[in-house]
Amino acid sequence: MSNVRQISVFVENKPGKLAEAMKLLKSSKINIRALALADTKDFGILRIIVNDTEKTVDILKDASYAVTVTEVVAISIPDSAGQLSRVLDILGENGVNLEYLYAFIGKSDRSVSFVLRVDDNNSAADALTDAGIIQLTENDIAEM
Amino acid sequence: MERYWNEEIECASREDMKKLQDERLVAQVKHVYENVKYYRDLMDEKGVKPEDIKSTEDLHKLPFLSKADLREAYPYGLLAKPLSDCVRIHATSGTTGKRVVAFYTQNDVDMWEDCVARAITAAGGTEDDVVQVAYGYGLFTGGMGIHGGSHKRGCLTLPMSSGNTERQIQFMRDLGATILCCTPSYAAYIGETLHDMGLTPDDIQLKAGIFGAEPWTEEMRRSIEKSLGIKAFDIYGLTESSGPGVAFECSEQTGMHINEDNFIPEIIDPETGEVLPEGEVGELVFTSITKEAFPLLRYRTRDLCVLSRKKCSCGRTLIKMAKPMGRSDDMMIIRGVNVFPSQIETVLIEQGYSPNYLIEVDRVNNTDTLDISVEMNPDQFSDKVKDMQKQERDLAEAIKAMLGINPKVHLVSPKSITRSEGKAVRVIDKRNLHD
Repeated sequence: MSNVRQISVFVENKPGKLAEAMKLLKSSKINIRALALADTKDFGILRIIVNDTEKTVDILKDASYAVTVTEVVAISIPDSAGQLSRVLDILGENGVNLEYLYAFIGKSDRSVSFVLRVDDNNSAADALTDAGIIQLTENDIAEM
Repeated sequence: MERYWNEEIECASREDMKKLQDERLVAQVKHVYENVKYYRDLMDEKGVKPEDIKSTEDLHKLPFLSKADLREAYPYGLLAKPLSDCVRIHATSGTTGKRVVAFYTQNDVDMWEDCVARAITAAGGTEDDVVQVAYGYGLFTGGMGIHGGSHKRGCLTLPMSSGNTERQIQFMRDLGATILCCTPSYAAYIGETLHDMGLTPDDIQLKAGIFGAEPWTEEMRRSIEKSLGIKAFDIYGLTESSGPGVAFECSEQTGMHINEDNFIPEIIDPETGEVLPEGEVGELVFTSITKEAFPLLRYRTRDLCVLSRKKCSCGRTLIKMAKPMGRSDDMMIIRGVNVFPSQIETVLIEQGYSPNYLIEVDRVNNTDTLDISVEMNPDQFSDKVKDMQKQERDLAEAIKAMLGINPKVHLVSPKSITRSEGKAVRVIDKRNLHD
């Protein structure tokens, strides 16, 4: 069972700031597989999963961005009513606290993928495996 | 082993020093009265004659000079020597209005450089040292003043001026600079750049720094000392008196010795002008007793500080001034509370933030607002919004505990606040725009 590494980037909540970060990744041909942005009045936290984590972190750090890498769980579930609710129930029943989640484009149009940021990756992974939910590796995501 | 540049003066007995001051003051008042019409009029208005000033005890009888007088007398109104006797002009940056220009005879330059040589010696400087002068050269007194003092001390002088920070570090390494002189904010930036270049204090030979020309905190000192691997010494001065070197710090690092053989300090109540006893906080006033060309008597510096004659472990008997809490110009009155940028800086460094910040004061619906932009600490960065918001809240609370008023704290990107190569601009007061 391998967790997926997510890169978080501090981005000021000002015009053009996100574009600057994106331009940097574009010029290095980094492909973003999954993305979510959480924002406050002053700043946003950009969360991304990319095809080359090490390189992306180096590029961002060289440009003086504040960056942190956290392990998250990525899953692929059928694209039908009630599927996400089922996942959340499983986590809740196993005492796993969910910090945030976001969806991203999956492998096929019959399934949908999610990134789950939880307080306990191992418990979450075990519980999801027991329930037969497909978990994605970093490789799976890179190759999508 | 403490070294002195001029032991006879720096360690003189109080009696000898007072005798010297008395003689010089009497002669100086006569010189000014005879040669400076502007000040003669002020004295006449107050009914004071040069004969009334017999010793330093009579100093309080003399009228004050303020920045406003200097502006009114601009450019030649306070000149006490013919221009043909002058060899140099310096000027203030003029950020708070019209520039102040100051004139120097050769004796004035010699005296000034002698004061700086004392400061360099107190920081451990000898003929074997390489002094890197990263203050701006030009009208500003910082560059030329330290440069001249370093020459006088016999140090190998590296006249870098400010700016081009990577080149500063390259020269520092290649030529083995041992003493760095610049503003504290620029020293902090040089330290930051050193680390960005993947270098450590072990890669340079600096042992000391002499930093001045802007207020800085004890926390800032420790942070610079750590990042550059040096002992950091404070130096004080103002263009109106000569430049850096009016007062300097010794190894004890508990305040600056005033070169009182040239500058007599007083502390006054800024409201009433009354002289305050030693140990009380008030406005610092200087009387130049040896300057020839631009001899200001009882000049109000607007710097708030304390004087002390407590015995110093370095052996110098020169009176000490505490690090100024800030120039009264820097003081902001926000919601009726006196706030100095240095207080905010203290909290930031204590809480692990960089000393780069921007304070914005405004008035919205008749209420003052205080917004502080602070560079977030990359080591504390979390992917969770609530963690980051907590950092903002904790910092705002620590600042509130210091100031008594609630600020709005905004975390901004690392290195996004403009670094200063000279005097840092840390405050934008937008309230003036509405007046």
